[in-house]
Amino acid sequence: MVATTAEQPFTVAKIPVSSWSFAIRVWLAIVLALFVSFWLQLEAPTTAALTVVVLAEPTRGQALDKAGFRLLATVVGVTASIAITGLFRQAGELILAAFAVWFGICIFAATALDGYRGYAAVLCGYTVGFIAIQQIDNPLHVFESAMARGAAIVVGILSIAAVNALVFAPDRQPQLVAQLAALHRRVREYAGVTLRGEPFNATTFLTLLREIIALRPEVTSVALESSSGSLRSAAARSAVVALIAELQAARTKRDAESETSAWAAKELLRRDDEVRQNLLALRSGRSPPRTWRAPLYRSYATSAESGVRAAAWFAIASAFFVSAGWPAASVSLSFVALFAALGTTTPNPRALTVLGLVGAPIAIVLTGMLEFIVLDGADAFPLLAIALAPFTIGATLLLTSRNLLWSSLGRIFLPYIMLILAPSNPQTYNPQAFLFTSLFIIVALALLLVAQTLIPPVSDEKRRMRLLAEARNELQRIRPNEEAAEEATFRDASRIERFLAAGGAKDNRALAEMLSCFDQSTTLRLCEAKLMQFAAGPLASLADEARAAIVTRDARSQRAVATRFRELAPQNDSIEADVAACLVLTSDIVDASNGDHSSRKAA
Amino acid sequence: MSHTFAELVIGGILLAPFAAYLAMALAVIIVLRPLLHVLGFAKLFSHAPVAELSLYVSVLGLLMLLF
Repeated sequence: MVATTAEQPFTVAKIPVSSWSFAIRVWLAIVLALFVSFWLQLEAPTTAALTVVVLAEPTRGQALDKAGFRLLATVVGVTASIAITGLFRQAGELILAAFAVWFGICIFAATALDGYRGYAAVLCGYTVGFIAIQQIDNPLHVFESAMARGAAIVVGILSIAAVNALVFAPDRQPQLVAQLAALHRRVREYAGVTLRGEPFNATTFLTLLREIIALRPEVTSVALESSSGSLRSAAARSAVVALIAELQAARTKRDAESETSAWAAKELLRRDDEVRQNLLALRSGRSPPRTWRAPLYRSYATSAESGVRAAAWFAIASAFFVSAGWPAASVSLSFVALFAALGTTTPNPRALTVLGLVGAPIAIVLTGMLEFIVLDGADAFPLLAIALAPFTIGATLLLTSRNLLWSSLGRIFLPYIMLILAPSNPQTYNPQAFLFTSLFIIVALALLLVAQTLIPPVSDEKRRMRLLAEARNELQRIRPNEEAAEEATFRDASRIERFLAAGGAKDNRALAEMLSCFDQSTTLRLCEAKLMQFAAGPLASLADEARAAIVTRDARSQRAVATRFRELAPQNDSIEADVAACLVLTSDIVDASNGDHSSRKAA
Repeated sequence: MSHTFAELVIGGILLAPFAAYLAMALAVIIVLRPLLHVLGFAKLFSHAPVAELSLYVSVLGLLMLLF
């Protein structure tokens, strides 16, 4: 998270007013969703309340963005449920096997994506758990169950959208502008420090890189907020990509004597101007001067391994339930799918399971108090609404806490309370059902923890080594004009972010190599892009020569071509002089990396 | 005069006509958005989200009245 404002927010009971209003909005939306579901006599009012809880995001844009993905993923999940049930309805075990495969595919997609897209992939997986697996004994009800779930989700989405619009939920866009402006200022400060010739501060660089990449999934949230949202979203995305390019440009080594120094300073200024123009476009709702994509680095091998492991967790849990032969074990199995899927969107899946296991008994006690002490047989809707207030508002306030543990607990308390209470019309107040649901959740989590201990998630070290190997391989295979240099730089930066997320900050040696690969590939791409300007001109053959020298990593030839370019340059700031400086820089980097390689071999 | 609704049936399940109207109103708003941006719709109101919600409800009402 980025602190963007220095002023102290207005607080009530030491909690910021924005958190209070967020909590009250969530409560109002839950009450509205339940009221509409009861009024329309929907079969799954709990799902409507759960949808509100899932979409409990502090800004309007984020909630709408997540809502869109939730709806889309539900449609995909329902289709998969019907297909799986239709193909394997004769044999329950085959349904489970097919679901384990589908689950693995969804987890593969989820780990290759980020933000709400990753959540959508996860939801495609566990929707099948909630529809096909819960109806495993009466497959003819799958379609009805899917329709009931779909209707409840629509009601939940409409409720939170209406409450957010009417109760003036804040927009994401002003916050995003403030965050990007603050990051721009910090990148400039970082560049200023390096410009003065002071040594690079790797920690500052990595912190900035992580914070900029973290904004990537959030820029899409702006698109749905207003009629100019799609233009602002494009501007924000371009600003994020340009910021990474500026940050990288600030890393270029300079010494006053070197001829590349002036070029590097010019390059930095150009990048800075790009960021400024994109931020201006974002503020004014105009389209950016040039629209960049913000591609994310995907490590398909790691994703595939995560998918296979998640499928194995589900297979272990289903094998246990099938052999135990308990009635209604399918409900517990769908909880296994839910937690296993949600865990893979976090850096540490096992930690979420442990947190769920710790939070479950507390949530069960709280819900027990709500159901059997506070409500205790009440059947009037206003009473339900009032009784829900302290529990939902309290859990949402926890969610907004700065403390990671409290906020994670708040994040799991909210759905737990709705899931265990299972509001319905009329409410049954059945202690047996309450105990069963509580037991199912705890058994599911315990079983998942056992499965995750037997087959642990992909280790951080393995992920890091794989990312490093992929970075090395990619450096050897850089081809001209595959995509814009800025976009490729962003993808490389997102690989570093994944490397850091896998505990890369502690692995100094691998981190240094990762950063060296980053610098090399960026400079090589930039040089290629500059050479493309001569493709059709009189200097095309010289440009081809330069390109061949880049492909063969021949530093000597690169310098020779650079000298010829410089001789042909009419003035100091011509394109030819630019290319010459860029080639010199590339040859320096090639030399340095050859030095790295020889020193590594010697070691 | 009673109003007749076109029935929407998916896989043998009858959906409420209201659901179809909701989706149609959403489609209309999505198509209208670029036009609203050109007209500067968001700048006309102090709380643009409420205005957009009202527009959605108006479109929904019109659709139900006319079709």
